[in-house]
Amino acid sequence: MSSTASRQMTRAENGDGAPFRAGFDAARAGRRAECDGGAAVAGTRFAGRQFFAGTLTGDYRDFGDYPWRWYLMNSLSHAPQGYPHATVWCEAGSLEIEEDPGGE
Amino acid sequence: MRNPLHTKLCDRLGIEYPIVAFTHCKDVAVAVINAGGFAVLGEAMHPPEHIAADIRWIRERVHGKPFGIDLVLPASVPEEKSLEELYAMIPRAQREYTEMIKQKYQVPDPKEKLEISNWGGLDQKRSLDQLEVLFDEKVPVIASGLGSPEFMLKRAHQLGIQVWGLVGKPRQAKKQIAAGTDVIIAQGYDAAGHTGNIGTFSIVPQVVDAARSSGVPVLAAGGVTTGRHLAAALALGADGVWTGSLWLASRESDVNLPMKEKLIESSADDTSYSDCISGYTMRTIRCPWHVEWSREDAPRALKPPLQMLLSNEYITGANDYLRKDLMTEAAGQGIDYVTEMKPARQILSDMVEEALDVFDRFAADDEG
Repeated sequence: MSSTASRQMTRAENGDGAPFRAGFDAARAGRRAECDGGAAVAGTRFAGRQFFAGTLTGDYRDFGDYPWRWYLMNSLSHAPQGYPHATVWCEAGSLEIEEDPGGE
Repeated sequence: MRNPLHTKLCDRLGIEYPIVAFTHCKDVAVAVINAGGFAVLGEAMHPPEHIAADIRWIRERVHGKPFGIDLVLPASVPEEKSLEELYAMIPRAQREYTEMIKQKYQVPDPKEKLEISNWGGLDQKRSLDQLEVLFDEKVPVIASGLGSPEFMLKRAHQLGIQVWGLVGKPRQAKKQIAAGTDVIIAQGYDAAGHTGNIGTFSIVPQVVDAARSSGVPVLAAGGVTTGRHLAAALALGADGVWTGSLWLASRESDVNLPMKEKLIESSADDTSYSDCISGYTMRTIRCPWHVEWSREDAPRALKPPLQMLLSNEYITGANDYLRKDLMTEAAGQGIDYVTEMKPARQILSDMVEEALDVFDRFAADDEG
C-alpha cells in the first residue's frame, strides 16, 4: 500500500451512513481509471450498472473492519449521459487503472 | 451415455439439475430446491433482520440442501446529497410531464406516503449490515449482482461460503475470475431488469472461454425459459442456467394475480429496454409510463436516482390498486414461454424433460 494520510474514523456526511476511515494514496493520485460501477436502484429490488472513466484524486475511504475500500474519481471523461455529479466514488475491485507510462 | 444435464455445477452443489432460480419469493425458492434445482433468493431490498428470518425459514424446509442469497453491493456511488437536494435537482419539465401522465391515466396515489428516507441502495452501510447476516448464518452461496469486493470473497471463503458474480461483459468476468469468484453468471441483453448490451448467445461462449483455464463454472442468463434454452446453454459450454422471469407467474410466486395474468399474456415484443423507470436502461413489461416517455415530445429521462423519484409513485399506485393496465414488472425476452400458472416443481420438470428430449434427438440422429 502506498503512502497514506488522515486515518481518522469519520461518519458519512449525511450522518446515517457507515463510518469510514479517510486516507490518501499518493501513488494513485492523478492516475486515469475506468470504473464498472453501478448500484442498487433506490426504492426497488433492481440494480443497474454505470460506466465511468476519469482521474483518481488519490482520496480513498475504508468502510468496515475488513476494510472495504473506495476511491474518488473526478475529471470524468465518461459518465452516463446526464449524470448530475462532478465526481464518483468507485469500489476498488471495480476499478481498472490505466498503466502508468512511467512505470510505478 | 452419461446424463447430459449432470454438470460440474451439480457436483459442486450436490443438486440434481443445473437449473438456478433467481427469485424474490421464498416459496418459489423452496419449491425449486426440493424439486432438484437450486435457488437464489433476492434480498437486496430487505433489512438484516428480515434476511435472517428468511434464511431460517428456508433452512427449515429444504432438509439440508444448499441455497443462495443475492445482494446488490454498490460498485460506485455519487457524492453525497440529501434526498431534499435530489428532489430539487429534478427539472420542471420532467416534473410536469410526470403529473400529466398521472392525470391522463388516472394513476391512483399510493396508499401510504412513500418513506423515501428508508430507501436503501444509496450508500455502503446497508450492504455491510446485510453481509454480516449472511456471514453469521453461513449461507451456502452469496450472489452479487454488480461486483465481488476482495474483503467479501476472503471472508466468505474462510467461512466455506461460495461467492457467485453476475457479469454483462467478458472483461467483468475476467476480473471476477481473477479475484476468486466461484461461479460466474453470464447475463445477456435478453434478460429482465438491468443488463449489458451483449446478447445471451454472444456473451455466454465468451465468458466460458474466459473461465475455461480456471475451471470456474459459468451459468447462462437472459431469456432462458425452456428446456431448449437449457440444452443450448450447455451446448455453448455453460454449466447451467440462471432463470428469473420463468418463475414470476408460478403458483407459488407472490406476484399479484393481475400482474401474473399480464406476464402470461406478454410476448418478447411487449418488453421494453428503456431508462424511463430508473434512469438505468432496464428491461420491463411495457406500460403507459413507457409509452409516454418514448414519445418524441417527451423530456429526456433523468439519471439515477432522480428518474426513480419520478416513477416510484406511478408504480406504487398501480400496484396498490391492482391496476393491471398500468402495471409493469421486470421481465426478460423469454417471457413468450411463460404461458400458464404452473407449480414451480412442474416448471422445473418440464424444462428438464424438454432438454433431455433435445439431447435424445441429437443422439438418435447420430445413430441414424
